[in-house]
Amino acid sequence: MNRKILIFLFIFLANFAIGQQKKFQINGAARGYFLSNNLNLDESLDSVTTRKANYGHTLLDLGFSLTPNKNTEILGMFRIRNELGGFWGGGVSFDVRQLSLKGVAGNVVRYEIGDIDLKMTPYTLFNTLEEGVINEGDVFDLRRNIVHYDMFYNDDNTWRMQGAKMNFGIEFGNYINLIDVKGFITRQRPTDGIIEPERLYGGGKVKIKQSDNLTIGLNSVNVFDLTETIQDSIQFKNNVHTFDLLYSKNINKTTNIGMKSEAGISGTSYSNYNDTRAPESLQDWFYDIALVSHLKNKNLKIQLGYKDVGADFLSTGAQTKRIDYSRFPGLYQQITNNALGRPISYTDVISGNTVNSFKINEQLLPYFAGYNNISPYGIATPNRKGVYVNFVKSDSIKFKNTFINASFMTQSRGTGTTVKKQFILLKAGTDVHLNDFFGWKKQLKIDLGMRYENTSRNGESYEKGNLNSTFIDAGISWEFAKKLDLLVGAKLWRVNGIAYVNERNQFNTIINFDVVNYDFTENTYAAGIRYRFSDKNTLSAQYQIFDVNHKTTNSINYGISQFSFLYSLFF
Amino acid sequence: MVILFASSCRKGDKNNFDGPNLNDLFGPFSIIDDIKINKNTANFPLDNELYFSGELSKNTTWIISITGEITGAKRTITGSDRILSINNTAWDGGANTFPGFGLENAFIEISFPKEENSPVLYDTVSITNTKIDNGYLITSFENGEGANWSKFNQTTVRGQIDCGTGESAKGNCHYGFNGTVPWDWAIGSVMVKPNSGTFGLPASASNLYFNMAFKPMENIGIGNTFLQFWFDEDDNGDGVFDEATEDRFIYEYWYEKGGWNLVSYKYSDIQFDENGNQISTNGNGLPEPSKLVSINVFYLANKDNGNAKALIDHLIFTTNKPYTP
Repeated sequence: MNRKILIFLFIFLANFAIGQQKKFQINGAARGYFLSNNLNLDESLDSVTTRKANYGHTLLDLGFSLTPNKNTEILGMFRIRNELGGFWGGGVSFDVRQLSLKGVAGNVVRYEIGDIDLKMTPYTLFNTLEEGVINEGDVFDLRRNIVHYDMFYNDDNTWRMQGAKMNFGIEFGNYINLIDVKGFITRQRPTDGIIEPERLYGGGKVKIKQSDNLTIGLNSVNVFDLTETIQDSIQFKNNVHTFDLLYSKNINKTTNIGMKSEAGISGTSYSNYNDTRAPESLQDWFYDIALVSHLKNKNLKIQLGYKDVGADFLSTGAQTKRIDYSRFPGLYQQITNNALGRPISYTDVISGNTVNSFKINEQLLPYFAGYNNISPYGIATPNRKGVYVNFVKSDSIKFKNTFINASFMTQSRGTGTTVKKQFILLKAGTDVHLNDFFGWKKQLKIDLGMRYENTSRNGESYEKGNLNSTFIDAGISWEFAKKLDLLVGAKLWRVNGIAYVNERNQFNTIINFDVVNYDFTENTYAAGIRYRFSDKNTLSAQYQIFDVNHKTTNSINYGISQFSFLYSLFF
Repeated sequence: MVILFASSCRKGDKNNFDGPNLNDLFGPFSIIDDIKINKNTANFPLDNELYFSGELSKNTTWIISITGEITGAKRTITGSDRILSINNTAWDGGANTFPGFGLENAFIEISFPKEENSPVLYDTVSITNTKIDNGYLITSFENGEGANWSKFNQTTVRGQIDCGTGESAKGNCHYGFNGTVPWDWAIGSVMVKPNSGTFGLPASASNLYFNMAFKPMENIGIGNTFLQFWFDEDDNGDGVFDEATEDRFIYEYWYEKGGWNLVSYKYSDIQFDENGNQISTNGNGLPEPSKLVSINVFYLANKDNGNAKALIDHLIFTTNKPYTP
């Protein structure tokens, strides 16, 4: 029935388009993707698992934009997806990928209803990029974009939600230049009528631009359950209220200095829960203050900051992880003759074989300490305080995306002991456009990124821990013929040491520690070619080799090689 | 913001931590202060309770097992606190279930099951006087049959008080049924009555528990043997029970397992059958323990299964909670 309705809508819209040429636009995307996997695992360890696994699909996202009048726009997008190997409609799905309505009311208030993208500050609502991406090479970026596009993970760190948002601005003459007001309300979860009440998420921001030098903002985001939507009156609430300030001033022609800061409080409550483990209420606070300087003559931006995020600071919109590392990957879920569950590896992240969040979560999702132990929940990771410094070099012809970050953090509160963990993070990256060194017209670009992280804790022997994680992200993109690129890349992890990983219950209370002795390397190498019909239309084929090698005896060494073919079009 | 910056050290975070204590989870185990019992001779009516004290290096599970030398009575006290004290190790002289402790030596064993290579500690305490039960003791068969008691035994059944066999649930004596009755389920019964008047129980039935020790020994198994308890109440208070006009509540307890069982139920429950329906009686239909004038314990077993044997002991009423042996 749904399929018939969609087909009808499609025909209707096509006819409508013919008659309404100027008020109608079509956009969307098309994709053909084929992926062939091969598991590489010692036959003596695993004589059971099928080594080959192929899948693929073609899809069309057909979007339309209707403008019935100058102040209103209707956006819709249908997805037609066909799994390769389906026969006469088998494996075909029709979905509505997006439906929204936006416009301007009274030439003052801009509004949007339906599927909306939302972002506020890093401590209120922010979709943090997953681990393992530092100046990523194009060879990996091609496939990661598939996951990002499907999950609505946009480059501007927005979360896709369903609801309504509005904003309006008021301009003033003296003392205050502009006040910009934004608000939104979204439905995070419908009730199941039994145990889960309906959940809403709403908030807003008042931004006051006093001048070009000073901007302050008041932010508020709130998760709350509607109590009368189920018999029991349980209610989860999480409120975050913050204040942010941005100040800058030119002290001379070449130097600009200023301050960038945010501070706020969070309150979390679990009302009327039968489960005695549910804390009635938790409050905590944070602040993040940074001095910023822009040395224009050196094309350098420097940020020196200090932050303190409380152990009980909970901001569901900012701390939800994209990947749930406690879930097994979708491919080769169990390996070896003993059918051991295969934990997520980085090849699964690239391929999208992970369980990804499509909405914000009140639980702090499990993370993989080997990849990121200092900020697994993004900038708003709770229980961290310390200094950080960032250097960002402005783009030049030869170098782009050049930066160095360093953080020196400790826990705000100990975990399992009063002795606190200490964290060191060093991160750097740059894109080197080699062709500009030699005056070549065709692009030869090297993407370089590295990340080093150390976690340590002193104390008694049972408290001591020292975990090192080194990650190198590199790629080369070479246009060796017109519009034809050779792509190669590598992602190399080296992790060793002991980690005390928090195990939390559904109320985010730490109930145990998983003591893991890591000593492994995870290497992913990829090579491929890409033909660019245009910037929005590419055809690529690539081969990727992945292997994980543990030096500890109780872990399984294996590899996965992949061949992929991807046609991608945005229109 | 300045205020927040100034107060960068969170109140209490220095001395607090999240999650379980790492010392408890992974720290080394040792006994810092020897674990000792406060007395090696126990006169429970006088001492009220014994307790253990000591200190461990970490919070970990410990089990104190106390076993009666003669009765085989067992009492287990468990905990996981680092400090052992009267607050978490008190022993009132009771057992986990029947049989209860007698005048005997009790062997004590203290172990730490989660700690590899940890020592097992041993001690002995001599019980010179057993605990006093809180409740209304009807009989423990220690003083023979009462003047007003009556018994019924099939011709092939021996039903009487036995003492000194070492089989009693509590004390030195119990009542035993033993015999083969191939023509009938009824084996025998003993009707316990006070020497005069009522048993002197409180008026409220809703917080009063009837308790008894029952040990089926032969002709056992689910559906093969059960007890009937007849509770006769003198509704009109004339000193005589009249079955035709007064309440006789009959409550059945069917076999559950071998060994000594604690039969315990709320007295107010005797007015309902196993389906929760009100049973029919000839009096006012209300369980009124203050009017109870006799308790008949009637033993029945499957007539096709050969010899039937069972022991009963220690009929006692308790308030607010079931009896603890």
